[in-house]
Amino acid sequence: MASLGDLERAVMDRLWSAEGPLAAAELRDGLAGRGLALTTVHTVLSRLEQKGFVVHDEGRPRRFRARGTRADHAAELMHEVLGQAGDRQAVLARFVGGVDPDEARLLRELLAAAGPDDEPR
Amino acid sequence: MLPATAAALAVLSALLAWPVPALLARARWPRRDPLVALVCWQAVGLAGGLSIIGALLVHGLAPWGHSLPEAAWAVATGHPAEAPVRGDHWVTLTLAAVLATELVGVLLLSWVRTTRTRRRHRELLELVVQPASLPDARLLEHPAPVAFCIPGARPLLVLSSGMVAELDDAQLAAVVAHERAHLREHHHLYLLPFVAWEAALPVLPAAARAHAAVRTLVEMRADDVALGSLPGRAPRRTLAQAIVVAADGAGGGGVPIGALAVTGSAVGARVVRLLEPPSPLPTWARVLALLSAGLLLLVPTALLLLPAVL
Repeated sequence: MASLGDLERAVMDRLWSAEGPLAAAELRDGLAGRGLALTTVHTVLSRLEQKGFVVHDEGRPRRFRARGTRADHAAELMHEVLGQAGDRQAVLARFVGGVDPDEARLLRELLAAAGPDDEPR
Repeated sequence: MLPATAAALAVLSALLAWPVPALLARARWPRRDPLVALVCWQAVGLAGGLSIIGALLVHGLAPWGHSLPEAAWAVATGHPAEAPVRGDHWVTLTLAAVLATELVGVLLLSWVRTTRTRRRHRELLELVVQPASLPDARLLEHPAPVAFCIPGARPLLVLSSGMVAELDDAQLAAVVAHERAHLREHHHLYLLPFVAWEAALPVLPAAARAHAAVRTLVEMRADDVALGSLPGRAPRRTLAQAIVVAADGAGGGGVPIGALAVTGSAVGARVVRLLEPPSPLPTWARVLALLSAGLLLLVPTALLLLPAVL
């Protein structure tokens, strides 16, 4: 039994690679290898809609499409991480924040001055 | 008894609002033992809140009894005041209520907000990114060299493809060890109160200073923990290289840097500390610092509760 996260990824992959919007039954047929029930597909779709990754039209049957491309969502996340203001720092722990070019140059000089691997053990 | 108690608490809170955090932020010893320094900062924050709210409460409740527990009990059971209740008593009581509500409220709000943002980030990640070979790590396609972790019940460690491209295996291991140290020691919890205090008391320069100091110390602590688990001849240099590459590639966008001098910023301080490690704090100094932190918490607590017993 695949996890819900796996199914969500599989459904999104199909929506991203599809030519146009897909109905739930088409998605189920596309994922035939997984032997999914239609209700499961609907559950996954409504979860994805709640999270804002999928929208549907008012047709009969409803047809679903991805709200943004995979790259859009990656860019959205990266934008938040890179543009994080000071008061948001508690959200995630970033390895190192950016520095301006002057400081970056000073840091490189510092590293070079410390010499190649001459650290005392 | 009560006026003296209130005055003592007020003096303590004034010390903790300005000179003590200023001294601690300027001191050189915290970088020699970040963990002990983090404990001290938590004590300063907690004792500061306790003493300012305590001072206001003790003064405001003075007409109802000779000690805070006694007066609080009298109010709770509906006893009339023993002495006339003046305007200043009401003012300090109101201030105490407002301050306590604000501090706790902002803390809760920060908690809710960060939890919500983290969930959103995790959702985005789990959807956009294929699971890596490590169960708790994700590789995000992006040219900027970025690494971060999302704390929580199901922590995630994220590396960008740019980071993987720019670093060699040893440096990458150093980055992962650093981020894992954050997660294992729950560093986001150390930061949360200071994020909240800064949001609640933007007029207090000490709040911003404390937040910045704690953030730097958390990074230094994670560096220390990472070093302990790194193989190789020169783990310090490896980690320093990783920091410089990541800081360089990430650009200055949106991250305020005060001074340009290397030692002026947190990143520079980390690199200097790795390349020229300061001697560790002697045991007596660690004990002294931890005792001071304990005392700092004990004094306001005692001032608030002890008059009832004496």
